[in-house]
Amino acid sequence: MNSSQLQLPSYLEQSDAVRSRFTELKERESVLTAKNLSKVFTSPQGKKIVALDNVNLEVKRREFLSIIGPSGCGKSTLMRILAGLETVTDGVAQLDGKTIEGPGAERGMVFQGYTLFPWLTVKKNVMFGLKMKGVGGVTAEQEALQWIELVGLSKFAESYPHQLSGGMKQRVAIARALATKPRVLFMDEPFGALDAQTRAQMQHYLLQIWKNVDVTIVFITHDLDEAVYLSDRILVLEANPGKVQEHIEVPVPRPRTPEQFLHPAFLATKNHIEHLIHPPAEDLYDDLPMLKMTKLGDEVE
Amino acid sequence: MPKQKTPWLRVHKPLSKKRQTFLTILSFLIPILLWCAVSYTPFIWHPDIKLDISANRSDVTTVYTAGDRLSKEYFPTFVDAVRKANADATAGINPNASPRATRRSNQKDLRQIGAVAVKNGWLEHEQTEDDAALYHIWRDLATGTKISKSPQLSEENLTIIKQNWATLSATSPDYKSSSLPETPILKLIPQGTASNPVYLPAPHEVITTGWRDFNASVEEGEITMSARFLQSIKIVFGGFLLSCLIGIPLGIMCGTFDFFSRLFEPFIDFFRYLPAPTFSTLLVAIFLANDAPKIALVFVGTFFQMVLIISKTTRLLDHSLLEAAQTLGAKPTQLLKNVVVPGILPNLYDDLRILLGWAWTWLVIAELIGVKSGLTEFIETQGRYRNFDRVFPIIFMIGFVGFFTDQILAYSKGFFFPWLRVGSSPLERLRQFFGVPSDQNKSKAV
Repeated sequence: MNSSQLQLPSYLEQSDAVRSRFTELKERESVLTAKNLSKVFTSPQGKKIVALDNVNLEVKRREFLSIIGPSGCGKSTLMRILAGLETVTDGVAQLDGKTIEGPGAERGMVFQGYTLFPWLTVKKNVMFGLKMKGVGGVTAEQEALQWIELVGLSKFAESYPHQLSGGMKQRVAIARALATKPRVLFMDEPFGALDAQTRAQMQHYLLQIWKNVDVTIVFITHDLDEAVYLSDRILVLEANPGKVQEHIEVPVPRPRTPEQFLHPAFLATKNHIEHLIHPPAEDLYDDLPMLKMTKLGDEVE
Repeated sequence: MPKQKTPWLRVHKPLSKKRQTFLTILSFLIPILLWCAVSYTPFIWHPDIKLDISANRSDVTTVYTAGDRLSKEYFPTFVDAVRKANADATAGINPNASPRATRRSNQKDLRQIGAVAVKNGWLEHEQTEDDAALYHIWRDLATGTKISKSPQLSEENLTIIKQNWATLSATSPDYKSSSLPETPILKLIPQGTASNPVYLPAPHEVITTGWRDFNASVEEGEITMSARFLQSIKIVFGGFLLSCLIGIPLGIMCGTFDFFSRLFEPFIDFFRYLPAPTFSTLLVAIFLANDAPKIALVFVGTFFQMVLIISKTTRLLDHSLLEAAQTLGAKPTQLLKNVVVPGILPNLYDDLRILLGWAWTWLVIAELIGVKSGLTEFIETQGRYRNFDRVFPIIFMIGFVGFFTDQILAYSKGFFFPWLRVGSSPLERLRQFFGVPSDQNKSKAV
């Protein structure tokens, strides 16, 4: 709310560097496309619930796209369709021009709940995808160790998941998903369960990984700061039914640093999304019908 | 700093490890102590009198021998009746007038002392009808050469012994079957000690008879206790393993694929309500004699529950693990082998522990069908003779084996599933309780 009192530029204003970056990005080939995606669920009572209505999407190679929106907007459903874990009612989703028909290693996924295999060590977890592909033991092990080193957990290669902290678990999950060299990495609120400090650290790690690995990232979050800080573009969905509200090009220049949280372009973008998701409502800050129950003169504010 | 006392009763709060171990020990100690208290404290319960000396009565047909139990209410009536018989004999009122009848009755009364002699170890059990030996026991007791310590003879009985010996020795100093006195000798007055009913033997009786039964050398053609035990084990584990062989794969398939679940589970769900023992005659008809129908009964009793329990366990596997594996490229067969099976294994292990206990409960019924066998046959036979001190050790042994198998399986879970190892092992807890330094602490100190 405070930011609205500052004089902010429009989120549509882009510096030259940012504009040229977007021009370059738009020229790249599309990795992921969704055309007229619709998803209708039938509730147990037989009621039809439209989760997604005519969603269109195009993700370029090595782009970082965030999906944001109020709860119930279908962002998880959209991601699960793209990952192949959910079927579509209508429309088509494609990876590199091929229709997505089920889950596969070329579309890795990181879940909020870590989903590491508790019976496997960190190393064996990271080797899992390679083993499924039929990569032999020694090769798989060496590749896995490289990925573990990349996320800075070499010391924990032989540990079991329950011995790790939440942030470490999620780093293992990222390493595991990347080990099969996916074209796209889907991340469904991956840092949602972490404390603020670990979360900031993880965001920093993720940007580093993304910079150094040939992968496109699609990222769901509730956290506006996180979305603006990480993304090239942000897809804002509205709820009931789930529809695309706006594609936002984030005007914050790269490389990103935590200091940019106070960058005017950052604040302008964040402010704009805030208004999209939570339209200013009259009754949001209504006073409660309180009676004074303290002694006179015992004021706190 | 004063140490703050934590109360023992706190809602939903675990006790300290030391207290937990203490209570575990106590949970076994309480029933044992109760059993001891009831057995060894004469004023608690003890509703019966166990006869050390019994007596024949000519006026009733019921015969009690030494070792039999009478209710406390009836015992005085019994004693009074014997006293009256003695008084009648002294007064010369003799219902069996003929000298032959008197001699026969005298011979019976002579043998009353047999139980006392055996209990004192003067005679072997087989000698209780060796009248010549008994004759000398009467003499020795009357002259004071022998004194019965257990049971201690009452003054009344000692007087009777002396009187009888006077009558006997007047006829002959040694036993001759032809020369028993023709005047009736007196009957010993019944003596006994307060005791519990026959179905509640004391702990030491159970332990000693149990020990004797397990170490007893048996005659040829009979079965040793360890052979019986092995036979029972074979039936329990045979039925259980057979059930696992089919039940585990089927349960996992039902839990993984809705297809198998819908195809098999409704019928299995119905079948498990059919009581396994009702199939006993059928199983004997199908599998004929020996162990086969018995193993089949344990199988029928465990299998159907097993499929349902395992399919449920399989369904409880965290769904997101399967999705994660799919996004890593796992195909359905790979999912089954690399995620479903290892994922449910710890819970499956616990299920099998419960089901093994289930298999044990079918043992007794299984051993009763067809030709009785194993430990159950022993329980059956001894129970019919009311030798409950021989029955209890077997019951306890079955319990112990079941319990300790389960405990060993529980303790070794951490060994099989290292990723579950959290906190200290039960062995570690015992060490802490008794203040023995653990290996961990030692290695830390080094």
